[in-house]
Amino acid sequence: MSDVVAAAAEQSAPKSTRAGRDVGRRILRSPLAMLGLVGTLLVLAAAVLAPWLSPHDPTSQNLAHILAPPIWAEGGTAEHLLGTDGLGRDVASRLLHGARNSLFVAVAAMLIGSGLGLVTGLVAGFFGGRVEALIMRLGDVQLAFPFILLAIAILGVVADRSALHLILVLGIPGWIIYARVVRSRVLAEREKEYVQAARAVGAGSWRRLFRYVFPSVWQVVPVIALLDVGFLIIMESTLAFLGLGLPPPSPTWGGILAEGRRNMVVSPWLPVLPGLAILVTVLSINLFGDGLAAVIDPRLRRGGMRRILPPSLTAASWHDPGTAARDESSPAWPVATGEGAPLLQVRDLRIDFPATESTVHAVRGIDFDLRRGETLGVVGESGSGKSVTATAILQLLDPPGRVSTGQILLDGEDLARASNRRMAQLRGRQLGMIFQNPAASLNPVLTIGYQMREALRQVTGCTRKEAAERSHRALLDVGIPDPARVARQYPFELSGGMNQRVMIAMALAASPRVLLADEPTTALDTTTQAQILRRLVDLTEEHEISLVLITHDIAVVAEYADTVMVLYAGEVCEYGPVRQVVDDPRHPYTRALLESVPRVETADERLVPIPGDLPDPRAQRTGCPFAARCPEVMDVCREVKPPRFDIGGRHDAACHLWAPDRVAGSKP
Amino acid sequence: MSAPLLEVRGLSKHFSVRRRAGWTRKVHPLRAVDDVSFTLDAGETLGLVGESGCGKSTLGRTVLGLLAPTAGEVLFEGEHLTEGDPRLRRTAQIVFQDPYTSLPPKMRVGRIIAEPLLIHDLVPRADVTERVASLLRDVGLKREHASALPHQLSGGQRQRVGIARALAVEPKLIVADEAVSALDVSVQAQILNLLKDLQEQRGIALLFISHDLGVVRYMSHRIAVMYLGRIVELGPAVDLVEQPLHPYTRGLLAAVPRIDARRSAVRIESEPPNPVDPPEGCRFHPRCPIAQSRCSHDPPQLLDWLPGREAACHFALDGPDAPAPVAGDRLHPPGAAS
Repeated sequence: MSDVVAAAAEQSAPKSTRAGRDVGRRILRSPLAMLGLVGTLLVLAAAVLAPWLSPHDPTSQNLAHILAPPIWAEGGTAEHLLGTDGLGRDVASRLLHGARNSLFVAVAAMLIGSGLGLVTGLVAGFFGGRVEALIMRLGDVQLAFPFILLAIAILGVVADRSALHLILVLGIPGWIIYARVVRSRVLAEREKEYVQAARAVGAGSWRRLFRYVFPSVWQVVPVIALLDVGFLIIMESTLAFLGLGLPPPSPTWGGILAEGRRNMVVSPWLPVLPGLAILVTVLSINLFGDGLAAVIDPRLRRGGMRRILPPSLTAASWHDPGTAARDESSPAWPVATGEGAPLLQVRDLRIDFPATESTVHAVRGIDFDLRRGETLGVVGESGSGKSVTATAILQLLDPPGRVSTGQILLDGEDLARASNRRMAQLRGRQLGMIFQNPAASLNPVLTIGYQMREALRQVTGCTRKEAAERSHRALLDVGIPDPARVARQYPFELSGGMNQRVMIAMALAASPRVLLADEPTTALDTTTQAQILRRLVDLTEEHEISLVLITHDIAVVAEYADTVMVLYAGEVCEYGPVRQVVDDPRHPYTRALLESVPRVETADERLVPIPGDLPDPRAQRTGCPFAARCPEVMDVCREVKPPRFDIGGRHDAACHLWAPDRVAGSKP
Repeated sequence: MSAPLLEVRGLSKHFSVRRRAGWTRKVHPLRAVDDVSFTLDAGETLGLVGESGCGKSTLGRTVLGLLAPTAGEVLFEGEHLTEGDPRLRRTAQIVFQDPYTSLPPKMRVGRIIAEPLLIHDLVPRADVTERVASLLRDVGLKREHASALPHQLSGGQRQRVGIARALAVEPKLIVADEAVSALDVSVQAQILNLLKDLQEQRGIALLFISHDLGVVRYMSHRIAVMYLGRIVELGPAVDLVEQPLHPYTRGLLAAVPRIDARRSAVRIESEPPNPVDPPEGCRFHPRCPIAQSRCSHDPPQLLDWLPGREAACHFALDGPDAPAPVAGDRLHPPGAAS
């Protein structure tokens, strides 16, 4: 091992406990998992401490004192808390030692099964081919074989049964459960690029398997193992009940149960107590196992599209200076009303994603207008808040995201305060949306035509026939030459470009007033992108639909939009008519965006990259978000957040370089 | 004359695709890379550009021996290196597109970069830490980053780690497969300049694969344009971008959104055909604005139409804005291909 690894190992200690603490905290938050954990720990403690906890020797007989009732029944004594059995042995002590024996057998069997399963699963998944076929068919045969019959047959034949025999018979057949899960995880992992990369640097197969794949897949084993232990306890008890458990006099729960059955009529608690012990133990283990699985695999956690109304909105507190710390000196964006008012007015919009440790402030107070028929390009990098803004307008933020303050006025109606029912009416009919990944937005098992017709009928309430006609026309409009054929096809039969055309046709067929397009062509090829954007812009112009075009590529905006809004880290940097902004950018970030991307048309000058990384979206911020990376940074930039200074002609820039006093002062 | 660093001769890589045909399933060959030849000199950057499904990534991986070729040869300095040969791994390395999936999630950065050193026993064990630190420095990271896990780094930092891992074996060739497409625009330029500097300082040859013509032009000395598994045009970067010979190159250039002025002309209509059954003749002819009857049955060869400029088109010099041939420059008049 190199020093690097040694150094890394030192560093790893605090971090792994942090991850451990995280798992612990999530378990704590789930009451059922917590209950399971406590139960499991109690049983485990009882098993480990049995020799010290037991008041009596579990095997010492006291024939003078047989079938004593437990303490709560009549005639019970504190001497034998849970009474005695048919041979006068202390039931409490026998149960404690039974826990020890049952758990020992179950855990040992689980270790054998999981060990075998892990190795076979890794090998089968990683090497594939004949090895995989052989291992998996072996598993199929074993699953088809009645396991309990096999166990009875083997244990019945063995002359002097010992714990080892029991453990092997119980443990070995369990491998296939582990092997299947591990194999499928390995199959997924082995295709990932980091395993390819390991191959490219010359790592052999065993090295790739154990150093690269194994660390990513082993986590599935403990969860299965935990549930397996619960199952094995029952199996062990079953075998003991059938007289095939540990040889007497070693107490096990199944054995105690079987013996107790003989005296059931006189002393009904004798079979009930070990039964309860088995029930409680297995239940605890299963509850804990499920909780652990949910923590390790976040996909099992519950979640959904719920809309959380912020408490502040119910109190109309958006103009409260306390919550909306709006810079008083900035030229306010007053809400326009009456004729000629912009169709969509967004005012001081703030979007938060509260998290346990710190809240992510995704959007930090943005204002903009969208006029009728206008195409507004929203440009920004990841984390700029561009997509979140669009989903907030639709009121479809993923929980726990919420609009913390601000107004989203569509024709004077505030969407941030609209009811869910009202939003459902507006979506589709007034507000359309196109996403980056069309395949994910379309239902894979329904035909294109069916989905379009149903969506149209839902939104507009038109008849089936009308819907069919309108969708046919819409498909023609977006440049699909044979709509009848496409309507009969399923999304997976079409290319990405075709699916995106369908999405656009669907959005436009309902003739919304505002269309929000979030990176509509990013996943598509250059030639397809050009065709689709051109169609989209032409169609929205033709139908006088206002288009919000969200993209990371300022060239797309330059070519297709009327107005541009440049976002950086949740704030507006620059806003104005496209040509003005692109030809004469005022904000250093806009300039950097234009200069740091290599273009076909630019000469061979060396690119000037923006140094550093994006700011932390959780941090409280003073001053300009771009200050840390700005080539023209001044002292004031780090302390005072720049308001959006007017440049003239609907063009503004949130940069202190354009403060009126500074601009006036610099003029001769 | 010594052999070029990399010579690719008639390289093909076919995959089998099962398709449903009535009640049966038929196996079709997908010609991801079909009879591709080119050379790459030491210290040169060849840009490989094309749309998704054109086979550019498959070509990159076949060159590295990560995929076995169906036909053809890959020669490094005139020598054929097989997959198991450690010399191949020390000659040619790769930087992947996605900095999120190309680093092992549970391995610390120091170890990731140390792996190639340990596998090939390149430095004494005692010096590994120092070597890793110097590699980190080379790619603009700090010694302290060695103890970080990949998810603790930003996308740009992760891509730097991927580059450091590739540099560890001191390769002569690096295949950069969409190495900056997953990065934010403000970080992209940092990584491009880093790759460019490393290449110039160390004389590493780059096979720079990207769908972004702007990026490819910035990085490359020469550019190869791929369409449906074939190279359709190959030439010096500046010439190819300013005076494209192949109508597909022209269409691709016209489709790139530009900052300078609004243009509406989109030359290429419709979408690329399914690579499982590419068109007969010239594979581009159904979408080609200047196609003629000959193009539908006679596949054009990649020929030198002008010095150093190859194109696979029967009418390479006949397009609406094709470069005017200088007298004596024209090596193959139209029609010479057949």
